[in-house]
Amino acid sequence: MSVVTAELERTVEALLFLSPDPVAAPALADATGAELHEVVRALESLREHYEFERRGLVVRQLAGGFTLSTHPETEAAARRLLSRPRTPPLTPAQAETLAIVAYLQPVSRPEIARIRGVSAESAATTLLERGLIEESGRSQFGAVLYRTTDLFLKLFGLDRLDELPAIEGFDPPPELESELRDRLLRAGEARAGGPGAAAASTDGVSAVNGNGTAPHPPAEADRSSAEHPA
Amino acid sequence: MALVDLELDLDVFAGPFDLLLTLILREEVDLLEVDLADVVITYIDHLERRGDLDLEAATEFLVLIAALLELKSRLLLPGEEIEEIELDPGEAAEELLARLLDAHRYRAAAAHLRDRLEREAGSRFRSAPPPPALRKARLDDARAVYDPQLLQGSITELLVVPPPVDLRHVTIAKVTVAERLVHLRRLLARGRFSFDEAVASADRVTVAVTLYALLELHKQGEATWIQDQPFAEITVERITRTTTTSMPGANRLSA
Repeated sequence: MSVVTAELERTVEALLFLSPDPVAAPALADATGAELHEVVRALESLREHYEFERRGLVVRQLAGGFTLSTHPETEAAARRLLSRPRTPPLTPAQAETLAIVAYLQPVSRPEIARIRGVSAESAATTLLERGLIEESGRSQFGAVLYRTTDLFLKLFGLDRLDELPAIEGFDPPPELESELRDRLLRAGEARAGGPGAAAASTDGVSAVNGNGTAPHPPAEADRSSAEHPA
Repeated sequence: MALVDLELDLDVFAGPFDLLLTLILREEVDLLEVDLADVVITYIDHLERRGDLDLEAATEFLVLIAALLELKSRLLLPGEEIEEIELDPGEAAEELLARLLDAHRYRAAAAHLRDRLEREAGSRFRSAPPPPALRKARLDDARAVYDPQLLQGSITELLVVPPPVDLRHVTIAKVTVAERLVHLRRLLARGRFSFDEAVASADRVTVAVTLYALLELHKQGEATWIQDQPFAEITVERITRTTTTSMPGANRLSA
């Protein structure tokens, strides 16, 4: 490693130490007067040094920039030194609301409520207070839109939003889908006052479960309402 | 008149107006079957019988009857709610299924996020910002304090060049040598004239410029002058081309 890189590594380390928020590589290049690729190399070198020397700090690439964080192995001691864990865990309602905002942003509160099936009022307020989401303009109907913040990326260990796994990855298994469809259809027929009212679109499923007397496993919808009473 | 006193006798209902309202709100009377025009007519009859107009009660009635009219007109129009009910069970089930699947997806994504947050719990960051005095001002910070639109409006006003101040009411004596040359040459056409005649009723600046023009005429060889003694009258003469005139002394010209 050249002397220049070693010098730059030192400077970059100092800048990261000074910054409470992740600093983007171009900003580091500006501050150091070095070329962007030199800064990137210095950051990589700094990261390796911390790693090989098993330092208590780690160079992380988060929220579009670079920052220093403690090594997770130091957490037990940090917990004894400090009064509380870094981030209080999210309640299920908060986590769902955050997931919807993260994947669909910008998204309005009514839209969140529509997807969850229950109001997102207090969960959204808490997420706002904790700085994980923020307002981002208004929808055409005047509802406040939400998006996630850089703090969200930082606390969840993400550099960019597209590092989240694709939402399709969370598709329910096909068995669950057909089971749900079947139950809904039967319920629909019961309401419409007779079987066969909706037979056309669902021949396959209806044929298998046509008797309508199978014991119902706990419904997906029931479970959600049990977990989060409105 | 208090509205409780308004007794109605309609096809679907007989009794006080207040009770009708209550029954409609409880959906025990179908608003679609209530003839609201009859309610209004009954009220107007009632007013006529009373002879005086209690503005407060009249306003209250107007508000209530307007609300009922709006409610009824909405019920009469085919709305989205009605359409939803008319979805066939298959469509309704598909719609509901899509929602359930969506809810399922985001619940799974939520679980992923909670795991992620837990995995990251051991990474702590410096979170104390540098003291404000040390911080570099960012555009966003400035925007929070200064509305760009307001600033734009202010600077725009400053950048407009104001109309020039109108000085037409101030008289500035403007006289040029060229003008005075024309004037002198016209006088000279007669052969000779006195300088006093040339600057009759002129201001000091004009006199000075005229003198300057006279010197110019002399330089061009067009005129000469005679003054018998200091402060005496100056007679200006055209120079005859053939005559050579001696240069008059400048000290002889004291206007």
